[in-house]
Amino acid sequence: MFRGINKAKWPFLATFVLLVVAGAFLGWARQPRELRTDPPIAADLDHLRLMPNGISGAPPESYFAEGKLYESDAYNLSQGQRLYDWFGCPSCHRDGRGNVGPSFLDGWWLYGPEMVSIVASIRDGRPHGMPAFRDRMTIEEIWQLAGYVQTIGAYSAKVGATGRKDDRQTRPAENRAPARILFDEGPVGVHPDQGPSP
Amino acid sequence: MIVRDEVEDLRDTALDEVQLDRRLSETWSTPTGLWGALSTVDHKIIGRRYIYTAFIFLALGGILALAMRLQLSEPEARFIGPDRYNQIFTMHGTNMMFLFAVPVMEAMAVYLVPLMVGTRNIAFPRLNAFSYWMYLAGGLLLWIAFAVDTGPDVGWFAYVPLSGPQYAAGKRADIWAQMITFTEVSALAVAVEIVVTVLKQRAPGMSLDRIPLFVWSMLVTSFLIILAMPAIMIASTALILDRLVGTHFFNPAEGGDVLLWQHLFWFFGHPEVYIIFLPAVGMVSTIVATFTRRPVFGYLAMVMALVTTGVLAFGLWVHHMFVAGLPRLGESFFTASSMAIAIPAGLQIFCWLATMWAGRPVFKTPFLFVIGFMVIFVIGGMTGVMVASVPFDTQVHDTYFVVAHFHYVLVGGAVFPLLGAIYYWFPKITGRMMSETLGRWTFGLIFTGFNLTFFPMHILGLQGMPRRIYTYQPEMPWSGLNMFISLSAVILAAGFLLFFIDAIRSAASGPAAPDNPWGASTLEWATSSPPLPYNFARLPVVGSLEPLSNNSETLSVAGGLSVDRRELIVTSVVEALPEARESSPGNSIWPLWSALATTVLLIWSIFTPWAVVWGSIPVSIALIGWFWPKGTPEDDT
Repeated sequence: MFRGINKAKWPFLATFVLLVVAGAFLGWARQPRELRTDPPIAADLDHLRLMPNGISGAPPESYFAEGKLYESDAYNLSQGQRLYDWFGCPSCHRDGRGNVGPSFLDGWWLYGPEMVSIVASIRDGRPHGMPAFRDRMTIEEIWQLAGYVQTIGAYSAKVGATGRKDDRQTRPAENRAPARILFDEGPVGVHPDQGPSP
Repeated sequence: MIVRDEVEDLRDTALDEVQLDRRLSETWSTPTGLWGALSTVDHKIIGRRYIYTAFIFLALGGILALAMRLQLSEPEARFIGPDRYNQIFTMHGTNMMFLFAVPVMEAMAVYLVPLMVGTRNIAFPRLNAFSYWMYLAGGLLLWIAFAVDTGPDVGWFAYVPLSGPQYAAGKRADIWAQMITFTEVSALAVAVEIVVTVLKQRAPGMSLDRIPLFVWSMLVTSFLIILAMPAIMIASTALILDRLVGTHFFNPAEGGDVLLWQHLFWFFGHPEVYIIFLPAVGMVSTIVATFTRRPVFGYLAMVMALVTTGVLAFGLWVHHMFVAGLPRLGESFFTASSMAIAIPAGLQIFCWLATMWAGRPVFKTPFLFVIGFMVIFVIGGMTGVMVASVPFDTQVHDTYFVVAHFHYVLVGGAVFPLLGAIYYWFPKITGRMMSETLGRWTFGLIFTGFNLTFFPMHILGLQGMPRRIYTYQPEMPWSGLNMFISLSAVILAAGFLLFFIDAIRSAASGPAAPDNPWGASTLEWATSSPPLPYNFARLPVVGSLEPLSNNSETLSVAGGLSVDRRELIVTSVVEALPEARESSPGNSIWPLWSALATTVLLIWSIFTPWAVVWGSIPVSIALIGWFWPKGTPEDDT
């Protein structure tokens, strides 16, 4: 039946099949997009172990098993972008440049740039006015939002970083790495403009 | 100055048939081996590749359709999740429209038009090679992205804001938009080749009123492509810019406009339907003429209907947007123009009916597909007139009624004629006949399966089932019909499977075909099956619309062409009077390098705008290599 396919065509067919098979393998190996996380995994996201001073620490084991989903996955980052607006973050932090609350763009993280610190800040709140969101958002939403907040201050844009919103443009979108553009290197050390000290 | 040791500028008039064949084969044939295969510019080899590739995409798209039917066969089914389902219906539509329907029609033209107008190669043969590589790269981009779970999930027309930067996360929508760029580059290239081939390379004597209807249809289609495709390229590029560098083409808050997308898309999207349908008109006309043993009734009316359809095609795109909230006057205008398209379409149908009425029909497989086409297309056309009316469209918009309508029009209007055309031209392309028995079974299964699958969708739509849903609740009155549709889809799939089996089996071991098995009257049957690399040993001279039927024994030919280099005749646009001997470019690997460089640039530019800057360097190098004078005989005109 296949004798009709002459010799010159085999390389084409082989390449075609090889590419599609390789793609299918990659797709199988890669985590597919989850619109609803498994409940036990979602519950485990709450088990982060912070250092005694509330800065930095260890994320839950499942977070690594999932491939650090909330920092890099485009879908979760875009959910974070929407949560940022829905839960009123701009009322203190504006578009990320800070107002009453500290800026995310100035290269200065009061509690460090790690995901656990940001998650803890959102979940448990911080002194000087940061409210706790643990009773208003699910822990999964908090991780999504934390991933997005971390992206705002990233100096090099992640592949999955969110684009502009259908809204007034006030600063370049996260995929343009605004932190690199807007970060004011300024005098070294504690900077009075960069929010209250912890 | 190149000095040749043999006779300077040997002409075909000085040679007998055997010597002529040897000389022409030396000049025109494609070297064997991988390098030869990669660098060939023979329109027959490239056309064949195009056809194979398009049918592979048809099969893949069909598998996706079956997957969707599996998921929808019962309420609350859990075979496919919502995210994967979104990707699947988007892939099905995108694949069928951009990777199957348009390319396969162009593929048939790439193969057949140069033969039908009696020339030796398509115009701009290297561009032709380039266009195939671009098409292949675009198809691979889409399918590999789907395989790695990054397939587009925004529907085949990718409306903003859903496909915009805020709602379509990741690179999925970018893959869709960039795949468009690939296929449009390739489609535009082929369209330009066809236009030039038809207008300037026709056999001497083939004046405009002696062009076969298939060639006319491809000429009109090519102009449609040239006028329609830039709109979608602008739209998809604007979408990528919005998503990657944060422009505001589609952002209302900054003065952009989401409706702009719909207008740009459908300004392309509606002519697209005719880009798919008009070649089918040409195929049907050719098949009807051959199997009724007489010329098509009303040649002039047919050509006028083709041109009218082509012009009207650009005046009715807004009927896709009736529920978008447009001014009443606009809606009325586009209702009227949408209904007006039924006039040329009806004219064509009546011309074919008159041809069959007056002729002596022979019911072979290609002709069966034509009859199937007429039945299904007329039903699709009638629901088309229904949805052209705004009040009715408002009720059935985005329901399965529309799904049923466009499958009747597209499958009935294009796939049936295409399958007929494959059965019809298969002997010419492969030199072997397809099985008549299996062909009848194929037709029966596909015709039955198609109607049983898609007719109930009209009813489902009227019952309110929306399109693009991945599941539905058991309380809805849809489950019985959905199960029926899914089972019927198996019959349809069996028909296509039989077609593929027949095609592969016949290509390998079918009975050998004579030069003109159907007794047809167009020029492609004047050469051997399959045609030799140079198509015609001596280029034909045409004195009537049906060059092979008037005096079947002899065909007048033109002489005086050089055999040392690839040469063909350039004729005048209207009268096809010979104007010049023109060289035709030889094999070259540079189209492949150029396509690869362009592919790198286009895919890279999904990730960073700097790709356009750095990626243009290899593209420039490849193009310089392509156009660098190489001192071949073809260069010294």
